[in-house]
Order: sequence, then C-alpha cells, then structure tokens
Amino acid sequence: MAVLNDNQAYHLEVDHLTMGFGGVVALQDVSLKVRQGEIYSIIGPNGAGKTTLFNCISGIYRPQAGSIRFRGRELIGVKPHKISQSGIARAFQNIALFQGMTVLENLMAARGHLQKYGLLTAAVFLGRCKKEEALSRDRVEDIIELLDLQRVRHMPVGALPYGLQKRVELGRALAMDPQIILVDEPVSGMNLEEREDMARYLLDIHESMSLTVMIIEHDMGLVMDLSDTVTVLNFGIKIAEGKPGDIYANPEVITAYLGQA
Amino acid sequence: MKVDDAKSSNTTLPKLLLHNAQLYRDRVAMRTKYKGIWREISWQGYANRVAQFCWGLMELGMKKGDHASILGENCPEWVFADLAIQSLGGVSVGVYPTNSVEQVRYILDHSRSKVVVVKDQEQADKVLAAKADLPELQAIVVIDMKGLAHYEDPLLISYKDVEKKGAEVLAQQPEAFSEIAEATQPDDVAFIVYTSGTTGPPKGAMISHRNIIHQVITTLQPVLHFTDQDSLLSYLPLCHIFERNLSMAMPLVFGYVVNFAESIDTVQENIREISPTFFAAVPRILEKLHSSVQIKLQNSTPLKRLGFRFGEWVGKKIVPYKMKRISLPLRLRPLYGLAYLVSFRPVREKLGLLRCRCIMSGGAPIAPEVLAFFRQLGITTIEMYGLTETSGGCTGPLHEIKHGSVGQPSTGLEFKLADDGEILFKGDSVFSGYYRDDAATAEILRDGWLHTGDVGKLDDDGHLYIVDRKKDIIITSGGKNISPSEIENKLKCSPYIKEAIIVGDGRKFVTSLIQIDYDNVGNWAQNNKVAFTTYKSLATNPIIYRLIEDEVQAVNAGLAQVEKIKKFKILEKELDQDDEELTATQKVKRKVIAKRFQKEIEEMYRSA
Repeated sequence: MAVLNDNQAYHLEVDHLTMGFGGVVALQDVSLKVRQGEIYSIIGPNGAGKTTLFNCISGIYRPQAGSIRFRGRELIGVKPHKISQSGIARAFQNIALFQGMTVLENLMAARGHLQKYGLLTAAVFLGRCKKEEALSRDRVEDIIELLDLQRVRHMPVGALPYGLQKRVELGRALAMDPQIILVDEPVSGMNLEEREDMARYLLDIHESMSLTVMIIEHDMGLVMDLSDTVTVLNFGIKIAEGKPGDIYANPEVITAYLGQA
Repeated sequence: MKVDDAKSSNTTLPKLLLHNAQLYRDRVAMRTKYKGIWREISWQGYANRVAQFCWGLMELGMKKGDHASILGENCPEWVFADLAIQSLGGVSVGVYPTNSVEQVRYILDHSRSKVVVVKDQEQADKVLAAKADLPELQAIVVIDMKGLAHYEDPLLISYKDVEKKGAEVLAQQPEAFSEIAEATQPDDVAFIVYTSGTTGPPKGAMISHRNIIHQVITTLQPVLHFTDQDSLLSYLPLCHIFERNLSMAMPLVFGYVVNFAESIDTVQENIREISPTFFAAVPRILEKLHSSVQIKLQNSTPLKRLGFRFGEWVGKKIVPYKMKRISLPLRLRPLYGLAYLVSFRPVREKLGLLRCRCIMSGGAPIAPEVLAFFRQLGITTIEMYGLTETSGGCTGPLHEIKHGSVGQPSTGLEFKLADDGEILFKGDSVFSGYYRDDAATAEILRDGWLHTGDVGKLDDDGHLYIVDRKKDIIITSGGKNISPSEIENKLKCSPYIKEAIIVGDGRKFVTSLIQIDYDNVGNWAQNNKVAFTTYKSLATNPIIYRLIEDEVQAVNAGLAQVEKIKKFKILEKELDQDDEELTATQKVKRKVIAKRFQKEIEEMYRSA
C-alpha cells in the first residue's frame, strides 16, 4: 500500500454528486476525494449506486447536480471518449472486448486513441505509423507480461475461460495508458485461486505502473486487503469513508452491509 | 581442433566459452522470447554477459572456492550465472524451482551457498523465508524484479545491478576476465547437482569440468551427433544434469543454438515456433504428447482418423528399417511418401516436431509403446540411460536401435555387470563424490566402480536392457522376481492412467494403486455423459472404475501369470510434490506412498 499524507494532491474529486432516474435517486449528495496513487475501493449492497458512480465519472451518465474534477478539470458534460483520452480507463464488470479478435488485437485496439498517424501512412505502413505501432506493441507486451497472458496471446478472446477474459479486460483498460483505472467487480464469478491471482495482479499494476486504482467490489476480504481507503455506499448515500480497519469497526456499515449480528 | 583439445581433457567450460566467443563471434548462441519476439544472443554477447556477471559476483565478495546457488526457471541469465560462478573458480548449485521453502533451505544450507541467484519474486520469497537459518548467505540476486520494488531486505540486489558493477570494472581492465577463466582447472568442481532424492534427503553430486566434458564428448556425442546447425528448446529444469548438459555444456563444445521457452505454460507453442531439430524429453512429457494425439484423434473427423490409421499402418512397416538405420526397400518408399503427406507431416507439425531429427528420452524408464508411437511418425527415437553420478548418460544406441533397450554402454567408460546383475561403470565421467557425505560416496563408489543400483541385462549384440532399480524389485511370497516399473509403464501407456504404483513385495499376488489422468478421463466422462465435479468424484465413480478395469485387463493380457494385476485401487487424491509423494522430477516416492496409502493397500489384500 502506498504511503499517504494528507498534503498529497487529490487526483479525482467528486463533489455533492446527485443522480436520479425518474423517481429513483441512485446517488444522493455523494462526495469523495481520491489521492494520487492510492487504491480506493467502493463497497455497498446491490443497488447502492456504485456502478452509477463509475458511469458518472466515465461520462456515460450526466448527473443532475454536483461536480467531478479530474486533476482540477471539470468532467461533467465532457464526452465519454474525451474522458478516456484524458487518462481515465475503465475495466467493465461484463467484459467489453471484441470476442472474435485475439488477446493481442484487443489490447492493440485499446490504444487506438493514442495513434496519430493517418489513413495514408497506415496503408503503406511506413514512417510514423510503423514507429507508433512498434511503440504500442512494446507497451502491450509489457501488459501481457504483467498479467501473464503470454500463452493466450494469439487466442480469440471468445474462446478463453471467464477468469482469463476478466484479466484481458483489465489489460485492455491498462493498454490505454491511463492515470486512473476504474475496475468494476474484478473478481465476481471467480473461484478462490482466480481471486488471489487477480488481487496479486491489481497490486502489481498499482506498484509497477504507479496508477490510481478505483475498485468496486463485493468481496470484503479482497477490499480490506488491497485498499488504502474504502467508501461505503448504501441506497445512494455515502455512509462511511476511511481506512479498511475503521470501516470494519463502523457500526453503521455493519448494519447496512455486513448484516446485523 | 577444439574437440581434440577437449579430448585431451585440458579444458574447462569457461575456457570453451572464451574459445567459442572468438570462433563464432556474432553467430547466434541463444534465443529468448522477450515481449513476444524471439531475441538473439550472439556468442560474443554470451561471453560478455558471463564476464560482467562474474566480475559483479566478485565485487559482491565471492572468491575462488565459494559456492553459489541458482533457483528458478530456465532463462539465459541462469546459464550466464552458472558459467560466471564457474569462471571465478566457484561452484554453482542448481535448485529446482518447484522445491518448497524447506527443501530450498536444506540445499542452500547444505551446499554452504554464499550467494543465491533467483529468477523472480516467487523464488525470492522462498529464500527470504529461509534466510534466518542461513548465516553464510550474503546476497540474493534477483533476475526479474517485478513485484519486489517494496521489499527492503538488505540482501536483495537485482541481477542488472550486479552485472553493471562488473561491467564498470571490466571496462577498465578488459583482459581480466579471460585471465581468471583461463586459470580454471579441469579437476575443479564445476557444479553440484542435488539428486531429486526418491529416498531420503537430496545428495549433492560434485561434477568436475573433466567429468562433464568427458561425458559430452565420449558418451553423448557418439549417440546424438550434434553439429552447429542444430537447435533445441530448453525447458526441462536446468538444475537437472540432463538439461544442464544439453543447454549449457554441449553447446559450448558443439556450438548449436539453445532456445529458451517463454514460460512453462508456453512450451507447446514455443516448440511449434522453433521446431527444434533435437528434442529431449522425460517420459512424462512424451507420454503426454502421445495421449494428447490420441485424445485429439477421438474428437476429429472420420477422414482424419482414417489418415492417421493409414499412417500408423505404414509406420509399423517402416519402423524395423529405421531402427536398423538401413534404407527402405523400394516397394515401401511410395507408401512412406503418401503416409508422410497424409499423416506424419500434419501430426509432426502439430507437435512441433517437423524438423526434429531425433527424440531422446531419458531420466526415467518409459514404455516401449510410447517410443513406438514416435518411431511410427518417422522420427528417430532413442532411449538413453544415465545417472547424475555419471555426469549424464552412460549408454545409448550407437547404430542400431533396439526396442526396449537403452543402447550400448558408452565406449568412453568401462562397464560391467556385477554377479547380481547390478550395472557398474568406471571412467572419467564418473563424478567426484557427494558433497559433505563421505559415507554415501563410499557406498556408491567401491573399488573405483560406480554402483548404479540398477539391475540390467545384456543381449548378444551388447545392448543393455534395464530391469529395474535393485531395491525396487518385488519378490512375491511365491518367490518370483517382478520388475514393478515395467508393469507400471505398461499401465501408464493408457491415456487414462497418469501414475501407477505396483505393490506385491512379500505378498501372494500383485496389486496396483492407480492415479487417473484428470484431463483425459474428464474428457472421456464428458463424451460419455458421466457427470462429475472434481478429481475425487471421478476417481470414486464406478463407471470410471470399469473404464480403468478394462485398461488394466488389456495390460494383464500381455503379462506373465505371476505379474498379472489381480486388484487395483484408484487413488482418491492426485499425487503431489507438495505432499512429498513425488520428487521434483515427478518420480513417485514408493516408500512415502506405500505408507500413506497403507489402508488402501491392506484393503486390497484383506478382501482377497
């Protein structure tokens, strides 16, 4: 876990965010501050608004009130593709990969926004195109190594088991060269061994790429082991924020989420 | 010229490295897959990196006579470190990457290692866990620092940093390395190989430069015929004498290319990419390739199956000629050509054996049926016999290959069979003794003869057949001698049986414990609509019992009456190295298994 001090700059600031769908209020006056380089987890029961929060950050939803600032710049109203280009990548819970393409192709495709060459140079594969493609491949190979995907490099994603697809999904987000990565339920539907592997990969990523990582997760064990800071949502309201140990001890959290003993 | 030098035994491995660097310079010595692309390392680059690491180790405080261990999967750095340690007059010790913390602690402690070179975080963690009991350990050099950035142990240092330290010094005095490498002597111990230890704790066999070079030239080369045009894939554990010879010592003499597999998972793909000209394997791997073809065949189209059967039919006809190494009679040639097109070529391509001129099996006994399969694909397949204590091989087919034989005793060694049939050897390849274990050395080296502990018999042409380990031979209560490994290997030929242990010492009849092959039996169960969840549910399913029973009956049909397996039991758990049931080379530890599964064994005999 990264060493934190309070003076450190906030990487992402969410201020008094409110988001409703018709009569349902999914997020109500939620504020949180994510420091540069920390692992920040958001937990809460089903329907607590966790994924809605991610959708607001990545620009898919437009909240009714509040603001989201990334390195001081307002994100609300910015188009999702602009947000991802500015350095916020997202690994989706329900795997967003091209099923018919290989692992390598999927990861290369994720870097499309970083390529500056035009159609003509691409057609002859010379000059800038060649250089940029080589650079991209280099980065992608780093990610393949980091996530131990060597064996499946040339396999179509659709043919891989679920646990591996989740890992490729994470790799796809990483391939975008982000500064913050939003990871939505990285271990849902996985067995114990796959969970342990995923936890190790998340730590490796955090350490070797010095990224800010935001995680939504149900697996309390994983969250408590990995996170620097945990926020608990319940029915769209933030009920607690703090270090993992404090959250465990918080009576309100126990009632809302962990169940009353 | 070089070979003659080596024959006169005045050379050492570091000297050969210097020689090759001058002779071959920019020619490729090694390839390693990095970031998805095969990168080449020239002979000059090879020698430079050994020199830099060697000097880096000396900067860390290593001196002539010191010991250092290497722990990790195969990679060029493994070999660089090995030769670097030898070059400064030290002794290098290989440790299996699959060893537990306890075993790592034992070997590092017993070998008195001052430095340990580890591959990655996984191995570094093991050494750090054992560190408190290793007062002599001065540095842990890590090849791949991934995941170690936040470790703050003062002993940890990255391989690159050590290399850099050495490079700085060598930049000042470029001749320094060749001076120390030239000072190495043939009778210096080059490395220690810890035997995998089917009985008791591992023993450290000391191998000198003279031992290994004599071995390579007089025993291996007359059988394997390497040239500098060969290439092979390094994937078996380098700390084992077999791979050490193939990936480190032999290329230094013959100048062929060694390719390092990207990771353990990718060996299959890497073989296909490289298409090595020589493929060395332990029985388990050949058994696996064999059963993978059988299984894929079951799932393929009838036309392909027909093609394969045709190939098999032709294969059986050509094998006798191939094994005698005489040319095919004219009438068989068109058949062979056709079978090559429809069967041999595609199968060999799938296995990555298209360019392969020779498959060699060693390390443990193998079933002749598995060898026959590869021979029927038109690949010369040989079996060699050898021990860590003879620095590798000691027999091999010099010309004719005989089914079930391990070939003729090496011409470089003196050979005889003791009165009780035990195989004995004497000569320059025979090791210098066990490190810190004079009692064991005296036991195996008596009157200058190495007592292998294996029983063999010779045929009229001087081909050797291994019967079994002397101590493993079963004498039934009826007084009959039975070789368990022969029956076990026949059982293991079945794609559904992964491991078999024959029991019967002092008993009325022979029984067997069987571990089913989870993948293949699982596949069978799926195809036959048998529901299962885990290994255990398969192992206890009566339908699977009947499947295995049929396989056992098929084996029984080819056995003498006293050898027939009257009863068997399917093990409800898979044998595992972590549970001390298998050695690091995946050989079964009979004693442990006989003890652990005593209840199952007694049941088989009680209900008789």
